[in-house]
Amino acid sequence: MTEHIVSSFDADLKDLGRKVVEMGGQAERLVADSVEALIKRDVDMAQRVIVLDGPVDLLQREIEEKAILTIARRQPLANDLREIVAAMRVANDLERIGDLAKNTGKRVLALTGEFHPQKLVRGVEHMSNLVLEQLKEVLDAYASRDDESAIAVWKRDGDVDVLYTSLFRELLTYMMEDPRNISLCTHLLFCAKNIERIGDHATNIAETIHYLVSGQVLSEERPKQDTSSLTSVAFPA
Amino acid sequence: MNFAPDTSLDIASAVNRATVPAGATKLKVEKLNFYYGENHALKNINFDIPEKRVTAMIGPSGCGKSTLLRVFNRMFQLYPGQRAEGKILFDGTDLLGKELDSTVVRSRIGMVFQKPTPFPMSIYDNIAFGVKLHESLSKAQMDERVEWCLRKAAIWEETKDRLHTSALGMSGGQQQRLCIARTIAVRPEVILLDEPTSALDPISTSKIEDLIDELKQEFTIVIVTHNMQQAARCADITAFFYLGELIEVGVSADIFTNPREPRTRDYITGRFG
Repeated sequence: MTEHIVSSFDADLKDLGRKVVEMGGQAERLVADSVEALIKRDVDMAQRVIVLDGPVDLLQREIEEKAILTIARRQPLANDLREIVAAMRVANDLERIGDLAKNTGKRVLALTGEFHPQKLVRGVEHMSNLVLEQLKEVLDAYASRDDESAIAVWKRDGDVDVLYTSLFRELLTYMMEDPRNISLCTHLLFCAKNIERIGDHATNIAETIHYLVSGQVLSEERPKQDTSSLTSVAFPA
Repeated sequence: MNFAPDTSLDIASAVNRATVPAGATKLKVEKLNFYYGENHALKNINFDIPEKRVTAMIGPSGCGKSTLLRVFNRMFQLYPGQRAEGKILFDGTDLLGKELDSTVVRSRIGMVFQKPTPFPMSIYDNIAFGVKLHESLSKAQMDERVEWCLRKAAIWEETKDRLHTSALGMSGGQQQRLCIARTIAVRPEVILLDEPTSALDPISTSKIEDLIDELKQEFTIVIVTHNMQQAARCADITAFFYLGELIEVGVSADIFTNPREPRTRDYITGRFG
């Protein structure tokens, strides 16, 4: 695209986009580290995740301020306007993603000393791998303004939901088998929920990218397959 | 319960886009070409202007938008060497044909210019002057007409105690609203505004924009503006002209958030001049 007559406007927009990409990298890192901390029961790493959520929040505020200032200064229209709205929206989603990773980190601290069977953690790990892939792809799509791969991410969120629902059942079953599992499983369930929510934020970002690139809003219902709220497991007689 | 993923994705059905507001066509431009001597200033323009709506014409200097405005009230006929081909149907009658007299056209299609152009006479006479050309009213009727149009132009409160003082003593914003009042005084159907606020301060500009919103209840308004935000704020329909061609016309909300044409996008986002 040709550049603005006012070159500082281009600089403003580039700076805004660059900050969002940077924030995306940080948030992605937090998610990966929080899951690793959970799997390895690495308290130090969990603590680092908790601390490093701060800079992500800070970046979100910076992006918001910059976006507001740019709107006030430049009165952007068309794709410029969408660019700024998208930066604000994506920054909000990333900020939430950071919070969710931080929450997982806190749960790792709470689990210290708990009995910790690896097979329970496997399911969470599998799901988080999928979500991390989604997050990475959607952030790449943002950086390259790639509508097609954004929509691909959007469509794939159903897979995460399916995994979450099955994990939900599995953890419920473990709790029934042995009440000593309840504390661990409850925390794991929340961690799984955090990761599933991160997947939802990735699809929000995908929707924003679609709007940014095409000017259209994805009106269709996203394929949702999280049926955990409808799930119950009968207590074995 | 069926939780099968719905993977169909129809972008076309995405969001129920705002459609062009309903309303009869007041001015229908058909295959219009316009020449300043050899210079082909408007090239095959086809364009409907809806009744009682605000239509904005935008585009860089020299794109033909003001020319089109001047064709609408046949001002170009005052100049030799300028000619228009094609049709402009005004409620079905061709404006460019012989059926309509220029004076009648200009009373039914009024125009307000970039710089306020009050006559060097009193506020009252500024308005009465034009009315007298078309109608013979009694003193009481004329008083009533003057008050009516000053009220419509949102300037009555500021002028009612100084109606017989010179209009040249008013501020620029007041003068411009007086000019709008003068245009309304002959009860036109269409009001053409050629950059009506470009010489005004932000407060006067806001007052005129507020007035435009008010006036579209009764009049069809066509505004030429270089201020994108003004077009986005005031206009129901926006048309983008470039080098004598009509590039894109559509609902303002669409034009300013998601224009179809790259040239429109580049212009409204300040990418070329």
